[in-house]
Amino acid sequence: MLYVAGEISGDSWGIFAFLCAALWNLPAVPALNNTDEAGAGQSIQKTYDLTRYLEHQLRTLAGTYLNYLGPPFNEPDFNPPRMTRAEMVPSATVDFELWRSLNDNARLAANYRAYTHLLCYLRGMDGQVAKADLRKSLGHFCSSLQGLVVSIAGVMSSLGYPLPGSLGSTDPAWAHGPGPISPHNDFLKKMDDFWLLKELQTWLWRSAKDFNRLKKKVPPAAVTLRLEAQGF
Amino acid sequence: MPSGWSWVVHILYFLLSICCLRGAGALVQSCGYITPESPVLAIGSSFTAWCILNESCLDYGNIYASQIIWKTKRSVVPKEQYREINRTVSSVTFNDTSTLATPLTCNILADGHLEQNIYGIDVRLGLPPEKPENLSCIVHQTSRSRFSMNCTWNPGRATFLDTEFWLRTRWPQETFNDCKAAVVNNSCLIPDVQFFVNLEVWVEAKNDLGMMESEHLLFDPVDMVKPLPPQNLSVTSGILPTVLKLSWENRIIPAEMELKFNILYKISDSPDWMEVPPEDTASTRTSFTVQGLKPYTEYVFSLRCMKRDGLGYWSDRSEEKSGVTIEDRPSKGPPLWRKIDTSHSPASWTVHLMWKELDHYEANGIILHYEVTIKARSPLSRPLEKHSVNTTNLTLELPKGTYDVTVTAHNSVGSSPASVLLIPASNSKASVKNVRAAPHAGRLWVHWIAPNSHVAKYVIEWYEMSNNSSYVTEWQQEPGSSQSTFLKGDIKPFKCYQITVYPLYADGQGNGQSTKAYLKQDYPVKGPTIQTKKVGKTEAILTWKHLSVDDQNGFIKNYIIFYKTISGNETAAKVDPSKTEYTLSSLSSDTLYTVRMAAYTEVGGKSGPVFTFTTQKFGKGEIEAIVVPVCLAFLMSVLLGVLFFFNKRDLIKKYIWPNVPDPSKSNIAQWSPQAPAKHNFSSKDQMYPEGSFTDVSVVEIEADDKKSFSEQDLKPFDLLKKEKSTSEGHSSGIGGSSCMSSPRQSVSDSDEGESTQNTSSTVQYSTVVLNGYRDQIPSVQVFSRSESTQPLLDSEERSEDNLGDATSPRHQYFKQNCSQDETNPGESHFERAKQNTPPINEEDLVGLPPMQISGQSSQSYGFEPQKNMQEAALAGALFPSTEGQTVIPETLGINAATVEEMPKSYLPQTVRQGGYMPQ
Repeated sequence: MLYVAGEISGDSWGIFAFLCAALWNLPAVPALNNTDEAGAGQSIQKTYDLTRYLEHQLRTLAGTYLNYLGPPFNEPDFNPPRMTRAEMVPSATVDFELWRSLNDNARLAANYRAYTHLLCYLRGMDGQVAKADLRKSLGHFCSSLQGLVVSIAGVMSSLGYPLPGSLGSTDPAWAHGPGPISPHNDFLKKMDDFWLLKELQTWLWRSAKDFNRLKKKVPPAAVTLRLEAQGF
Repeated sequence: MPSGWSWVVHILYFLLSICCLRGAGALVQSCGYITPESPVLAIGSSFTAWCILNESCLDYGNIYASQIIWKTKRSVVPKEQYREINRTVSSVTFNDTSTLATPLTCNILADGHLEQNIYGIDVRLGLPPEKPENLSCIVHQTSRSRFSMNCTWNPGRATFLDTEFWLRTRWPQETFNDCKAAVVNNSCLIPDVQFFVNLEVWVEAKNDLGMMESEHLLFDPVDMVKPLPPQNLSVTSGILPTVLKLSWENRIIPAEMELKFNILYKISDSPDWMEVPPEDTASTRTSFTVQGLKPYTEYVFSLRCMKRDGLGYWSDRSEEKSGVTIEDRPSKGPPLWRKIDTSHSPASWTVHLMWKELDHYEANGIILHYEVTIKARSPLSRPLEKHSVNTTNLTLELPKGTYDVTVTAHNSVGSSPASVLLIPASNSKASVKNVRAAPHAGRLWVHWIAPNSHVAKYVIEWYEMSNNSSYVTEWQQEPGSSQSTFLKGDIKPFKCYQITVYPLYADGQGNGQSTKAYLKQDYPVKGPTIQTKKVGKTEAILTWKHLSVDDQNGFIKNYIIFYKTISGNETAAKVDPSKTEYTLSSLSSDTLYTVRMAAYTEVGGKSGPVFTFTTQKFGKGEIEAIVVPVCLAFLMSVLLGVLFFFNKRDLIKKYIWPNVPDPSKSNIAQWSPQAPAKHNFSSKDQMYPEGSFTDVSVVEIEADDKKSFSEQDLKPFDLLKKEKSTSEGHSSGIGGSSCMSSPRQSVSDSDEGESTQNTSSTVQYSTVVLNGYRDQIPSVQVFSRSESTQPLLDSEERSEDNLGDATSPRHQYFKQNCSQDETNPGESHFERAKQNTPPINEEDLVGLPPMQISGQSSQSYGFEPQKNMQEAALAGALFPSTEGQTVIPETLGINAATVEEMPKSYLPQTVRQGGYMPQ
């Protein structure tokens, strides 16, 4: 828009020529023809927005939930060591360089798997919450996270990547879900919940970065059109 | 009998079969059934039903399909629609089910025309659902981070059947719970929606006749959001007088969506909302500074928001909040004008300076005071005057001259630019032309033609014209470029406004030009009161007064005078409004007219009170034209008569009063005794021994005179008396009545000697009866009494010769009269006198005849004894002829024939009867 405005103020012949050229080249603009890529750009943007939205939601939810868990979990400087049991939750603490070295497909697949797994745990957590208000927030968050999983799948399919197969194929520890190995100790369970939220936060933070990067790599349709036109 | 038995058997069979069926309990079986069972049919479709009879019934009851009768509700379906498939099955076909009534029954007409119902089905008619159209969803924000989605659609036509509508939502790999539309079939609420994932939404409609699905919508719910409006809006004034800062809270977080805003504002008392340019508020924010506002003005703000990219819906508008900008210096000087009163002194003025309060938007704050400066131009040399006032006017006494006046308004921030008014010594400049005023769109519009030279500004003055003298002049200023304006003020309808336009120049001022106008006209309050100024025979001049300004209610366009006679049609005459007089002509004479007058404005008229007048019988001069000739003719005739009289004087005299020889001058006169006066005293003494008349010297003298004769001449009177008494019997009542009053009076006077005054006054004459000389009948000499005390008789005696002409005929006449009385039974003066006054003297009687005459005359003149008697006496003395005339009217009523003859017969009679006439 700004560019067009500049043209108007500059030279009316220029803008006319630009419009003619743009119309002439419309069929040739790849972004418009390649609907898949355009769809991918949009879904990446949406996924990115969703991760940001989930980040925001989690911030609120985590505060409420940790308060619900009570001390020491709601203390700001509470930083317990990661328990073995918590390793059932996929860890986001992957080496940065290692993560960067993965290709898009691998990263997306890792995201997909992580959120699917996290969602399973989260749903288990949801069922145990006695506070209706919190349960409602948790339920909403779960639904949103479900949406993220769907969204990532959508991005993957739009970029032509296959969806990861059955869960736990790469990491058997994730495959079992929360049910059979749920701790009987209340504190340990709370610890699991604490770590779950912490992992979620990390994953969302990382996903946001991932999708931002991906977003830049696969621009949305409108951006593509502009770039192409400018190129002309 | 056999037939009777078979009937009994049949009935028993039926009863048994029913009992058996009842007894069977759960195994209730009917004789047949209809297929399909309880069908749901599309309205208008064709439908076929079959009634299938049980074999068992066929065996027992001789029932066959051919006996089946189909019924819908209570009406029998025509046989044409039946089809007997075999002996147990009958079908019925309806080509159009829209007329099909429920229930549909299958009946058997058994023997004896007994109709038995075999089976019935309930047919439901309806329509399959239509494809739901116009599906749309809107995501309402219910609270912070809480959203619900409401989808609506058009369910299509009524189906007449239970139709379910399901709203289905789906993610690519996830299906959510469907939402079943409640009571109303066209909306569904999904309480929890997830953003940033595309959702597929569609509606399914389903009933017994089919299922339809709407178009599928695929959208991200975040693009359908109607957010909650921003809250806690607050307005704060800034440092500048033209800005206000708004701040608010958004109830939607940026992670959910970026927002754009729409800020609306208006001046608090204005109805028109303005908008902050959208590009200035196209991003998420919680505050905004609105610029370009007016100083010291209250503004009201409200805002709304929506998703920044324009997808979704605008929120409702936030609550309104107001704020006031800070003050600024007044932007303009107050409009300034003056009124100059020159009345009290020729050399100085009373100048009323007046200015208007600044409008709110010009004052830019609260005006604390005004500063006024007055500077005189040469040749006046006065120091600059400065005044500081709180009011909007200032009255100054100034010597006549040219002044520059300035006024500035001050508020807490500063002062306004100065308003300048030049007050010239005289309005010498060109004035405007052709000032007109007319109502326009409910206001008074004034238009004028500008003078040729450049006008700095115009002042329009106006006031409401009223009989009430205390009017208030209002005014307004207009820029020099304008040639028309609306009057700004409370202009009332039905009131006359005098509007004056003054042009103000940089170096002077023009004279005002005026016009009058009404905002709205009405018919007058009342009509004019009409009166006649002058009424003639065929015309009347009507006059009236103009209606007062208060009564007019508009410009009087014309008057109409309506006039009519009592029975006639009303005639109208239109009169110019400037007139106050009008002449009605061609009226009928001596006729009552009613007239009224109506005054008309452009709206209508009103009549004044009705006035009536009557035209005159005669026109002007008509009476004069009749009277004058008549008078003239009368005068002429009188004149002619007189002339004739003078011309024929001798002739007339000869007939009317012929010359009677004066006996005193005759030789016989020398025979009469010359000194009867010598015996006066003695005779009188004899006559009035009582001396009752001593006071009335004249009478005494007369009496003496008479007595001088009477003593000697009683005899002839006795004779007379006798004559009269003899003639008494002949007097008629009528004649008597005519002479009644005077003789009685005179007689009573003389006869009742008790009142000397009466006697003296009434005995105005005496009759001298001379003894006949040597058996001659003496002539009766009558002396009329004058009121003057002059001794008449002396002079009479002395001038006997002179008077002889007059008196002697009188004697004669009297004599004649008396004798005539004798001869004429109609007149009986003497008799009356005698009758009424029995104790009268014969001497007194002597005086009677003349008394009678005077009495007659007095009677004829209305009974004024003293005067008339005297007149009559004089008349009698001087114009004996009048005696006769006075007698005539008396006798007129008695006997006309006699009277007519009388004047003619006078003389001859006298001559004949008198016997005395010395021929």
